[in-house]
Amino acid sequence: MNDNCAMADAAVDMLLHHRITQFLYREARLLDAERWGEWLALMAEDIHYWMPMPENRRRADRMKAYEAGRGALFDDGLLDLHRRVARFKQPSAWAEDPPTRHAHVVSGVEAFHAEAAGEYVVHSTFVNYRSRGERDNDFLVGRREDLLRAHANEFRLARRTIFITQSVFLAKNLNTFL
Amino acid sequence: MNGRKGIDPQTSCREDVALESLMDLDKGRMSRLVFQHPGLYERELERIFARCWLFVAHESQIPKAGDYVTTYMGQDNVIIVRQKDGGIKGFLNSCPHRGNKVCFADAGNARQFICNYHGWSFAIDGRLKGMHASEAFDSTGFDFEGHGLHPVARIDSYRGLVFATLDDRAPDLADYLGDMRYYLDAVFDMDDEGTEFVGGCVKSVIRCNWKLAAENFVGDALHAGWTHDSGARAMVGEGVDDLHKSPERSYQVNFNGHGWEFNQDIIGNCASLGDKELVKYLYAMQPRVAERLDDFRSRMIGSISSCTIFPNTSFLAGQNTFRTWHPRGPQEIELHVWTFVNKSAPPEIKERWRKGSMLTFSPSGVFEMDDGENWEYATRTNDGYVTRRQDLYIGLGRHTRVHDTSLPGNVYQGQVNEANQRAFYQRWLDLMGAAVWSDVPRRDVPTEAAV
Repeated sequence: MNDNCAMADAAVDMLLHHRITQFLYREARLLDAERWGEWLALMAEDIHYWMPMPENRRRADRMKAYEAGRGALFDDGLLDLHRRVARFKQPSAWAEDPPTRHAHVVSGVEAFHAEAAGEYVVHSTFVNYRSRGERDNDFLVGRREDLLRAHANEFRLARRTIFITQSVFLAKNLNTFL
Repeated sequence: MNGRKGIDPQTSCREDVALESLMDLDKGRMSRLVFQHPGLYERELERIFARCWLFVAHESQIPKAGDYVTTYMGQDNVIIVRQKDGGIKGFLNSCPHRGNKVCFADAGNARQFICNYHGWSFAIDGRLKGMHASEAFDSTGFDFEGHGLHPVARIDSYRGLVFATLDDRAPDLADYLGDMRYYLDAVFDMDDEGTEFVGGCVKSVIRCNWKLAAENFVGDALHAGWTHDSGARAMVGEGVDDLHKSPERSYQVNFNGHGWEFNQDIIGNCASLGDKELVKYLYAMQPRVAERLDDFRSRMIGSISSCTIFPNTSFLAGQNTFRTWHPRGPQEIELHVWTFVNKSAPPEIKERWRKGSMLTFSPSGVFEMDDGENWEYATRTNDGYVTRRQDLYIGLGRHTRVHDTSLPGNVYQGQVNEANQRAFYQRWLDLMGAAVWSDVPRRDVPTEAAV
């Protein structure tokens, strides 16, 4: 994770912060509503959407909990994201019918100017709660680091890294995005 | 069992179950109690998991002295560690003093393992080296020699796959794997360098009985075309081939409960990753494997297939996912998943396989997410008192045995079959019913010439 803690002067102004926050909230609402196509349209062509599975490593180990090139529940480019969405939309995605009920909660948004003009490093925390059938309730809590890029009057997501806390994923599947 | 509704109605969770009442495999029937009964689960821990050879590591995970991984044998947590002489040892991950866990990392390199509780320190060969306030122990005549980490009974490997057993009376690993070695070579011995694991281990929980996962991989080609229709359409734009329509080029083979269902299409599993570079790689490998092994096995290197090594380790050729289904009670498993590749493959091919196997066969994978849902409900419905007394069908493909064949093991025509599942449960029954290894019926004897 980039350490932007001491970079108050690079923080975006209130209006931009508001627009970025609204973008993230809308994204969460699209996912809750399974509006996959509209969600995909928010991705930049060069998106890297990455969610490593953390490993328990001793502090002295050069290998840390979250490492590139290790196990990951998402390590996706745009084509991979399209394929996942294609599965959700198949009539034969039996496990999606009846549908899952989702709540994507986004909070703790901090936004900073990135090195390139018109790009923003955005930190946020999330809670994802999913319910299926009668008593299937799964939740994930974590932190995200995004790279947003200004696009028309809005933004596109160019990079997302999702840090979850569970080293043993406590659910049978992950049938949404975070 | 007496036919359709023949399960003994007196059977309940609180009573012992008569093993012979659970299966009538010749008739293609089995009881659901094997997925639910707590007493049977306890017996599985004793007679299956404390006794069979279980997969514990790939040699490539622990190349250097002191390299270790922690894993499970049944519900027993173990440390598997490379020794200074190049050998591998395994120990229960529990301090012989007051029982605390001594290693909390998933993997790493250690010169010693030190217990957090009273500072007992163990060398990588398991020997007790010392502890906090050791003078207090010295002055009371403490026996250091007798208080090392408890070792697994035996550890051995085949083609880079490391197995251990907690029973010193178990047959040799070579005998245990038997004729499956012939088939394992098709994937794990494509060239001199063999395979390695890339990336780490992805762990997840599925609330299902461990046998539903193991039986799925041992022989359930049938579910692919239905369960995984959505995943196949997403990845390659069309459904899974109608495997049942071309049984003449597909098989099930099994040996002492291990089983592999496969066809001869070389790349069918691999193609489902939607990456042409991987398919090209396998097509280039195929003639080399044919030369090294034989033409038949060279057509299995990435074909539509699945395999389980009894009891709870499975893999998919071509998709290159390797997994162990660790039992956590009769209704839960902890799934550990790795990606394997040929060690000699170019780095970008290894990276493509790591990504492809995760995109398809991890908890977020487009294929795996449907499996978990099926297995959980095939387990949970049996909470119903009456439901669990209704037996299940496991009779597909009876009378498909191929007798006139030079292939090792028990060979069946057509991968859409339940022959391997029946063989899996026969082995399960044999082990559950035998108090010691020497009482386990010796149904399948290795064909030495085959390996």
